[in-house]
Amino acid sequence: MMLKLNPIVIYELVVTIFLAFWFLSTILCQFKETKISSFIRYKIDYFNLIPLWTFFAPHPGKRDYHLLYRDRITDIDYSDWQEMEITEERTIWSWLWNPEKRDKKILSDVVQSLVSSIPSYREKAGSLNLLMFSMPYIIVLHAVSQYKKQSQNCYRQFMLAESSGYQKETAPSLILLSVFHQI
Amino acid sequence: MILLNDISQTVLIILSIGLLISTLEYLKKVQIFSPNGLLSWNVMQLKWTKQNEKSFFKPLFKLFSAPGLAALFIIRCLLIIGLLFFPLQSTTGWVLISLLGVSLLMASLVTYYGSDGSDQMSMLIIITLILCNLPAFTTGKLRDIGIWFIGLQACLSYTVAGIAKLVSAEWRSGTAIKDVFSTKTYGSKKASLLLQKYPSANRFLCWNVIVMETIFPLCLILPWQYAIVFLIWGFIFHFFTALIMGLNSFFWAFMATYPAIYFINHQMPWHLF
Repeated sequence: MMLKLNPIVIYELVVTIFLAFWFLSTILCQFKETKISSFIRYKIDYFNLIPLWTFFAPHPGKRDYHLLYRDRITDIDYSDWQEMEITEERTIWSWLWNPEKRDKKILSDVVQSLVSSIPSYREKAGSLNLLMFSMPYIIVLHAVSQYKKQSQNCYRQFMLAESSGYQKETAPSLILLSVFHQI
Repeated sequence: MILLNDISQTVLIILSIGLLISTLEYLKKVQIFSPNGLLSWNVMQLKWTKQNEKSFFKPLFKLFSAPGLAALFIIRCLLIIGLLFFPLQSTTGWVLISLLGVSLLMASLVTYYGSDGSDQMSMLIIITLILCNLPAFTTGKLRDIGIWFIGLQACLSYTVAGIAKLVSAEWRSGTAIKDVFSTKTYGSKKASLLLQKYPSANRFLCWNVIVMETIFPLCLILPWQYAIVFLIWGFIFHFFTALIMGLNSFFWAFMATYPAIYFINHQMPWHLF
């Protein structure tokens, strides 16, 4: 039997194909990064419509990140390290109303993105100089540069560190120490 | 007046509660989009380096300031409230949800850091409902296809999460949940101490999550009295992740998919005869 084409049937067909493509793309973009998944994620998916459903796996986020900064006062004199608050204790209402999660998630995403890109910068460029031009680095620098300066002509350095949260089994460790930036 | 006997409408109502909370949370934190904020457009626009992208999205760029986004979030709240009074299948209801979809897509250009799986699930549901409820073009069949898409995406999300945990040594060894709970980012001191005290509870929880997430799609094909076990498990799982980990928006986004799963389950042949 021939399918009678009218605008309603055509629309139904187009939407069905679109949803099927979306579902297939979602499957292709899980687990391992391939050429197809990279193409879909970075060339087509401007609106972040292809989800990654591998929540807290394969590596559960078991470290807390810490962002610290200090200023160079003179050539030999530096201010104390100040920690930028990324994590915050939740309230009893956080299960319903939790606006604080946004700041935490943004910084956590940015830091994780920075941390995950460090090996590739080391491998490709041999040093971390080019990392300074990456989006997450600029966001972190922008974030720390908003805090009160020690002097008008201020040079600021930031440090990324990680710790094991409430467990004190392992000592905090350094991830990245930036150069001094004029802010 | 809206009726809850329609699956698409039920999905939308549950999702709307979560979207309203999430939008109000963004409104409370709107200073993150200010020039001094974490997602300042001065910095975020560096992502759009290609000229063709810049010219395509440029009309939207003026909106990405703190006042512009605050206005967008207020409008979004009004659209969500409006959807309580106009059914999805009405022209007004469809216009409201379409504007809501546009506001979500626009904001996604500036919130790609900080958004999570619940934001993606919400966007996925809203776009599907828009496409499958276009007045004058929509048939009952297309609405059903939309519901199937939402239900299948929900099942895919659980299975992918389950398989990703199954291949992880940290999850299989039964330490992952304790480790996550021990972080200040997603954990809780009380829960962390409790799990340190009872390692067997930790192992049980890890394997419970691995097994239930991996086999979750069975809820589509099992007779309803067994299938509902998966949905009750999901409800408890999301409630506790909201309570302990503060992932409140996941609860609403994933609960919104459950009516779709119910619908698919009841379309299976053994429920028809």
